[in-house]
Amino acid sequence: MNFLPLWRYRDQLIDGTIVTLELTVIAACFGLLIGTAGAVALKGRVKPTRWLVRSYIELFRNTPSLIQLFIVFFVLPNFGLKLPAFEAAAVALSLYFGAYSVEIIRSGLDSVPRSQIEAGQCLGLSGWQVFFHILLPPALRNAYPAVTSQFVLLLLGTSLASQVAADELFHVAGFIESRTYRSFEVYAIICAVYFAMAMSFKILFAVVGALAFRWPRRR
Amino acid sequence: MALVEIRDVHKKFGRTDVLNGVSLDVEEGEIVTIIGRSGSGKSTLLRCINALETVDAGEIHVEGQRVHARMPDLRQFRQRVGIVFQAFNLFSHLKVERNITLAPLLTGRIGKSEARPLALDVLARVGLADKIDAWPEQLSGGQQQRVAIARCLAMAPHLMLFDEVTSALDPELVGEVLKVMEAMARQGMTMILVTHEMGFARNVADRIVFMHQGRVWEQGPPSKLFVRPETPELASFIASVK
Repeated sequence: MNFLPLWRYRDQLIDGTIVTLELTVIAACFGLLIGTAGAVALKGRVKPTRWLVRSYIELFRNTPSLIQLFIVFFVLPNFGLKLPAFEAAAVALSLYFGAYSVEIIRSGLDSVPRSQIEAGQCLGLSGWQVFFHILLPPALRNAYPAVTSQFVLLLLGTSLASQVAADELFHVAGFIESRTYRSFEVYAIICAVYFAMAMSFKILFAVVGALAFRWPRRR
Repeated sequence: MALVEIRDVHKKFGRTDVLNGVSLDVEEGEIVTIIGRSGSGKSTLLRCINALETVDAGEIHVEGQRVHARMPDLRQFRQRVGIVFQAFNLFSHLKVERNITLAPLLTGRIGKSEARPLALDVLARVGLADKIDAWPEQLSGGQQQRVAIARCLAMAPHLMLFDEVTSALDPELVGEVLKVMEAMARQGMTMILVTHEMGFARNVADRIVFMHQGRVWEQGPPSKLFVRPETPELASFIASVK
């Protein structure tokens, strides 16, 4: 076991880590936007939209994410949409994360009793005021644990992007391994990096959650 | 003209007739208590008065204005008609002060600097000024219900509806809520209550309305209704709750 030969690749490893983080954060942001819009659509009255969102969810949750990525990267160019590796991975992962987020956010919204909405309406608040001030805060709290664990799955899932040669951590690892033949050392290091990132996010989310959701739980 | 005019209101849930031609007037300053067995349509009638339910037929007017779910100024209308629910329905993610001031602030009734004084004022009226910074979950059921009443009062409503507001409370907490309501009654608030508290109905109400099978079966002052019921249905109801 010898980690020394890897030292000269430290910059690549750092760059790979940054790309992985970028990919995760971008996909999480767009995925949450898709998730919120989808959840609102699912609760809405327009049947075709509900049907569309439902099909999207089922399609993305019941097919391998690697194939989703390949379709974005290899198949969409046939239809005139040619994306570089990083962008293709960002799109595919956003759609993947979005599909899970819709259900998580919808169940968060559903967990708020209808009587809370009524109480807001009875005080003369508008639909948007009820949504933002009364429905959303407890819904976010209820959805928060599921969103954060899905986020960690997304972080780990970005390693799929190596398959289209996006320069994220796992792809960098493959490159270094092919140069040094030190498989154990390379994969031990990136394992530790993934683990450290995931644990850091977990701690961060716990702190943010404790600060954001301070009201006592309903008995 | 009466403050509330209900004319031949019908309402169905699926195939079940819940309201079967209800007509009722409530004058300004009057305290009307609706009693009856569960399923007689009491709560539904109350919910129709502030358009939480839409009526299938008939009309409801409040302050001369026809009430329905698509009325153009529904939000302004609801600010004038307060409703207190059986389950309190406080917003558990907001402290007591914010529960009370959220709607007055968002609807532009008051400015930011007036918020805390307003909350203190209405809380004092329900005897809970010292709980202004508490979370709802830290309060007893009776205290939560009094905060819910204070939250309504902060909108300075012209009419208050009470939907079985003591039914979810432990027996020893009922009294404190009823006391607050009695005080409001003395101050001349127009109130329509659905309740199972016969003692309260007898002592505070100007008029008792007995509902049965989705209709106003019998009504009159408590002294008459409780002592000499005219219909066998009311007589048997009174006997059953004694």
